[in-house]
Amino acid sequence: MRHLVSALFVSLLVAGASAGVATAQPAGAGYGAAGCGLGSIVFGAKPGFVQVFAATTNGTFGSQTFGITFGTSNCASTGGGAVAAKSFIETNREAFAKDVSRGSGETIDNLATLSGCADSKAVGHALQKNFRQIFPSAKASNTEVSSATLESLKADKQLACSLLI
Amino acid sequence: MVAALGLLASGACATRLGRLTRDVVRPLDRSGDAAAAGYLSELLDRAHRTRLSERVEWRRLGHWRDTLTGIESQADGQNFFLSPHGATSPGAELDATLRGFFATLADGETDADVQHPICQFPARYRWLDRMLGFDPARLHRPACPRYDEFYQRVDADRLSFVFSSYYLNNPASVFGHTFVRIIKHSNTRDEERRELLDYAIEFSATVDTSNALIYGVKGLLGLFPGTFRNIPYHVKVRQYNDTESRDLYEYELDFTREEIDTFLEHLWELGSTYFDYYYVSENCSYHLLGALEAARPSLDLLSHMHWPVIPADTIKALYANPGLVREVRFRPSLRRQFLARLRGLDGDQRALVERLGYDPTVPLPVGMPSQRAIAVLDAAQDLVDIQHAKELTFETDTAPARMKQRLLERRAEIAVPSEPLSVATPWSSMPQLGHDSRRVGLGMSADDTGALGVALDARLALHDLADPAPGYPEYSQLEFLPTRARVRLDEDVTGRRRFELDSISLVRIVSLSAQNRFDRKLSWKVDAGMIRVADAGCSGYCYLGQLAMGTGLTLATSDARVMTFATLDVHLAAGPALDGIAGSPIRAGLGPAGGLRLRLAPRLISLTTGELIWLPTQAPRATWLARSILRLGLATNIALDLEGQLDNRAATAGLMTMLYF
Repeated sequence: MRHLVSALFVSLLVAGASAGVATAQPAGAGYGAAGCGLGSIVFGAKPGFVQVFAATTNGTFGSQTFGITFGTSNCASTGGGAVAAKSFIETNREAFAKDVSRGSGETIDNLATLSGCADSKAVGHALQKNFRQIFPSAKASNTEVSSATLESLKADKQLACSLLI
Repeated sequence: MVAALGLLASGACATRLGRLTRDVVRPLDRSGDAAAAGYLSELLDRAHRTRLSERVEWRRLGHWRDTLTGIESQADGQNFFLSPHGATSPGAELDATLRGFFATLADGETDADVQHPICQFPARYRWLDRMLGFDPARLHRPACPRYDEFYQRVDADRLSFVFSSYYLNNPASVFGHTFVRIIKHSNTRDEERRELLDYAIEFSATVDTSNALIYGVKGLLGLFPGTFRNIPYHVKVRQYNDTESRDLYEYELDFTREEIDTFLEHLWELGSTYFDYYYVSENCSYHLLGALEAARPSLDLLSHMHWPVIPADTIKALYANPGLVREVRFRPSLRRQFLARLRGLDGDQRALVERLGYDPTVPLPVGMPSQRAIAVLDAAQDLVDIQHAKELTFETDTAPARMKQRLLERRAEIAVPSEPLSVATPWSSMPQLGHDSRRVGLGMSADDTGALGVALDARLALHDLADPAPGYPEYSQLEFLPTRARVRLDEDVTGRRRFELDSISLVRIVSLSAQNRFDRKLSWKVDAGMIRVADAGCSGYCYLGQLAMGTGLTLATSDARVMTFATLDVHLAAGPALDGIAGSPIRAGLGPAGGLRLRLAPRLISLTTGELIWLPTQAPRATWLARSILRLGLATNIALDLEGQLDNRAATAGLMTMLYF
């Protein structure tokens, strides 16, 4: 009875909300320029209705899901080093872009730790100065942004980002 | 329908069965190693004599619960059990676990599915070792490099239980969500916390369909496998705080070092199984509590859960165990950050932020101090992120992306870092302060003929606009099975006291969104259910199935004490006894509706609503209704409700006591 009532309930919601959305795109690999982009991690690919719906009801779609073991996905590491730093930048791209333009912020502090840099304030200042190299245009892909960021951190020896070497 | 569901059920989860540990390990060779065999017999004997398998610690490690048909584990994946009867027999599983500890893995057995039982079940090992005192000379403990790697990577110092606030813009996540954050040890060099580098543990369903209807049905019937996942915390922060603008409340748990280790070990055990995922019962919140109970068996969490399981209830369950929550911390949504930024700006600067939100090239006034320019540009960036969250997340080089790019470039040109933003914590919205999720009410009512009645109210979940405000979002109403009825005390012509069901809805949602210069989102509402109608459309009275929907605008003061809304509504109704459009049993109407909500005190709310429905070519030509509610919360879970209603045929008033439970 409970299940029947609740099935009716959500079927109604789903049917109502999905009017005009017959089927969603199947989740693709979503890798490539998106790298560890938030969209590809959370939704697998560009989301259809069901993917969005699933992600917000704690359902998981697509290939980049992590197990308790972390799998082999590069996007799941927060341990430090270049791979983790890159994936962090890609996932946090929108917030990171703002922090770089502002020369400070939580994503910069965390990136500095991941990269083993000596002083996150100095990192913020340096990235802000290099904003145009890191974010040349709105066309820049996530992976281009993450590569350019690491280049910029490595090039500035005073930052002493020891985990990027 | 039933056949279709059966078909779905047979297909679900089948692909998740990899090789089972119990089929792969080589049991102890009793004749080959007599000493080990003797020790195993001794351990089994002691376990039986002390009835270890009946202990609560063991029951929780196996997620066994008493059911009507006997003991059964809620874990549904077979590889969680070393005995083929483990799912229903804690005793058989305990024996099989001890035997498994003495088993060996074939050389070169490195399949990801298969681990040595000691490595696969580290929490069981820890507890059995404490109970039985394993002799390392006679029970060899193998190296478990994969678990060790997991343990080192999460680097757990503390645990916190995280609640992601209600999100009404998606019907499926209106109730909020929960997950566990594993807080790493602080950075040894600078002692600063790097929260984004923590890990989050969540329990989620693995979805295998892109068909919306199948998705809904399977989710409710538990046909998706739910598994525990380990995800970088920054993924959750970006998804919830930024993309969906939801606040996060973090409840740090008072766990000891050993309890934290047991929790991690038990999570590792859960990694080899799945649980059928039910959206309204065994959902994201439920099994996380089960994992906490396994780590600290003295906790009593799941017994506080009732159907339906609302994520906020899990927070209340934490508080039902005194001392468990050590500290509450708050991580503001992007929207809340934006509002905090606005607070530092004057009227002209706010106007500038608004213009920059759609034209990023608008020049700043000549001579504006750089600190002001920074504040304006920083706020405008957040505004663009809020207004175009989805597009920015999924695509580059869109119009919003170019707009944002221009704003960022202008900000970066002022080579001065922004100061950290401080955001006030909205303590009154913390979910544990809210009333409980179910409601019943009992009182008296009277109508304008002088007839008295007993008024009845019941609701399965969760909150309406007149309910006590603490702990709930101010602009939202979400109700599941709200029901109103009364027993008339006057006798009808046959001498009976009549029971009248006034209305019952499957679901009723009102999502208000206050209009301001930065937010033009429409308000909307939907109500699907059954109502009792006594007008010219049917003789006497009749029951109609009804779907009502509306959309419109809301105005409110910034503290939301005064809120008024107006919508244009569409009503569709049908019932066998109805004389509707052209003699058919269908009624269709259209008309304005509106309301005024006053929060006189946190637990004293006045709500007045009205609607006029024009029924073209039908009888009656129109219906109208006005209702006023004054509800006073006497305590968290008790309210006094005074209501009056006026419609095209009667006036009624009622006084009721409401209990939330």
